[in-house]
Amino acid sequence: MTNNPFPLSKDELLAAYRTMRTIRDFEERLHVEFAKGDIPGFVHLYAGEEACATGIMMHLTDIDRIASTHRGHGHCIAKGVDVHEMMAEIYGKATGACRGKGGSMHIADLSKGMMGANGILGAGAPLICGAGLAAKFRGDGGVGITFFGDGASNQGTVLESMNLAAIWNLPVIFVVENNGYAESTSVEYATAVDSYVDRAAGFGLPGVTVDGTDFFAVHEAAGEVIRRAREGGGPALLECKTIRFFGHFEGDAQTYKAKGENDWNRENRDCLRIFANRVTSAGAVSEAEIALVDREVASLIDAAVESAKGAPLPSPRDLLTDVYVAY
Amino acid sequence: MTPKVGLIANPISARDIRRVVASANSVQIADRANIVLRALAALKACGIAEVVMMPERAGIAGHVLRGIERARAHGEERFPNLAFLPMPVTGTVEDTRRAARLMASAGDVAAIIVLGGDGTHRAVVGECGSVPVAGISTGTNNAFPEHREPTITGLATGLAAMGLVPARTAFADNKKIEVSVDGGTPEIALVDVAIVTDRFVGARALWRTETFRELYVTFADPEVIGMAAIAGLIEPVSRAEAGGLAVTLASAGAAATRVRAPIAPGLVEEIGVEGWRRMPAGTVFTPALAAGAIALDGERELFFDPHQRVEIRLVDRAFRTVDVAQVMRFAARNGLLVDRPPVRIHA
Repeated sequence: MTNNPFPLSKDELLAAYRTMRTIRDFEERLHVEFAKGDIPGFVHLYAGEEACATGIMMHLTDIDRIASTHRGHGHCIAKGVDVHEMMAEIYGKATGACRGKGGSMHIADLSKGMMGANGILGAGAPLICGAGLAAKFRGDGGVGITFFGDGASNQGTVLESMNLAAIWNLPVIFVVENNGYAESTSVEYATAVDSYVDRAAGFGLPGVTVDGTDFFAVHEAAGEVIRRAREGGGPALLECKTIRFFGHFEGDAQTYKAKGENDWNRENRDCLRIFANRVTSAGAVSEAEIALVDREVASLIDAAVESAKGAPLPSPRDLLTDVYVAY
Repeated sequence: MTPKVGLIANPISARDIRRVVASANSVQIADRANIVLRALAALKACGIAEVVMMPERAGIAGHVLRGIERARAHGEERFPNLAFLPMPVTGTVEDTRRAARLMASAGDVAAIIVLGGDGTHRAVVGECGSVPVAGISTGTNNAFPEHREPTITGLATGLAAMGLVPARTAFADNKKIEVSVDGGTPEIALVDVAIVTDRFVGARALWRTETFRELYVTFADPEVIGMAAIAGLIEPVSRAEAGGLAVTLASAGAAATRVRAPIAPGLVEEIGVEGWRRMPAGTVFTPALAAGAIALDGERELFFDPHQRVEIRLVDRAFRTVDVAQVMRFAARNGLLVDRPPVRIHA
């Protein structure tokens, strides 16, 4: 029982802001750097959705596993993956989280419970059922969280995984980050019934929809579904209605969005701004403390980009290392 | 030209955290569409020829149109003509507000049937002016809409809209509570306003009883669920009588009086009650709590900080609803739905 008016201490509020700011600055910087042509492959930016990853991941520890998506940078940062290693990985450098062989869509760090971003839509859902089954056998109270978008929600793998998680009563949470667009196709067009709570109900899973731009809404709802899963209550679905500030991928002209949509979202639905306004106007955190986090994060991202650019590429002799696993 | 009936079916009610922290149900899209079809069939049976409906893109409209077209293909005239309001769809509560506003300003809508919970009804009432509302419960906490088979709600709305029942019988006056922060445009609640210690809106629903501090209700029915249940179990107040009730709450461990109240489906919790008093219409109440969140009809909607002034005021005769029970009794007494054969006199 607590009468604390916020669900987090001051240090935790600042930590939440730091995570969201780190994701935002990481993505905004990648937007600039990718345009220079130095980064191989594709990047899909998470800016605008920071409250989802942060509000959920603050309930997790390293024993909990997550399976991410092609838009995985925010999940990695919120799960504790090192920002320098992430940036180096995206630049394809030997100092990267996967020795520079995975790139943006395959960043993983098992020591942090981050099973990997994933270039295949909906592929994280069956993986997390495996992680959930392992946690259940171990009995360590660990949970698995899989993220997917409104587009991947129509993949058979996701629906099959919900069924599997239900029949085995796995400690797994299915998180739909519904940003309204499957690449360039609107959710209204591509999804017959756009309530993912209805989908979950079809498999006997409880489902909850929250405003994904409100950190406190995500944090509160995620806390309840995760606690339920840890206690053996079984799988659940959490839909975060969110937005993405950038295109599906860097270089996407975004002709499918309304004119001014991104500007309006940045002005009215920016989860960082909403969070900072709430905690400062309530007097829980000062504006100076927010500004200090902003400066520290900016330095961190600068340093990460500089060290990534200066790091060596993997050598040809490393071509086959860490690729095959012997059982 | 018969009067039109408006229909607002919220596709996104009953999706919140109470499906996890309580045992709330989720009314699926197909269920909502079938409820619309039942109401439409009932309206047609009463002679209503035209219905205007809020557009949405979550799947209700498609299911409803398929049902109507299938009936027409069989040569059945079971449903009235259905038109959708020309308005953008945002997928937010703004759709409900806009639809109610358009129906009220059209001038030819005699009543609005609403599918949703307390929050949806609140959004409609905020915009529908003098047009009566007929509520069908498809939300989580449904203290405001009465629990009833939608076909019957459709019949009563149809009879009332056709003018077959005197207005004083067909329609009931209802109370509302207005809440303003720093003199701004008031927000409304149809059933209850709760003041809680949270300083954020979060997942909206109320279930952590240790945060409850104050409660203001328009009516307090011991049969309803949600925050109003607390008031209903200590001093019932009917929907029809003037004024409401103001209750001071506390943690169960800190109060001499404790109420076991159903604050959400399947969630019967012990809540401390420090005192209560009648809430006359027009009297301004100010929360004793310096800062917190304001929940309207069971969902945190606003927050206030120590420097802000909150005013809470009950309004009598604020809006009208279709009195389904009275309409159906009148219909039975007066044979409105009975076709009798001519009386034959045997020589």
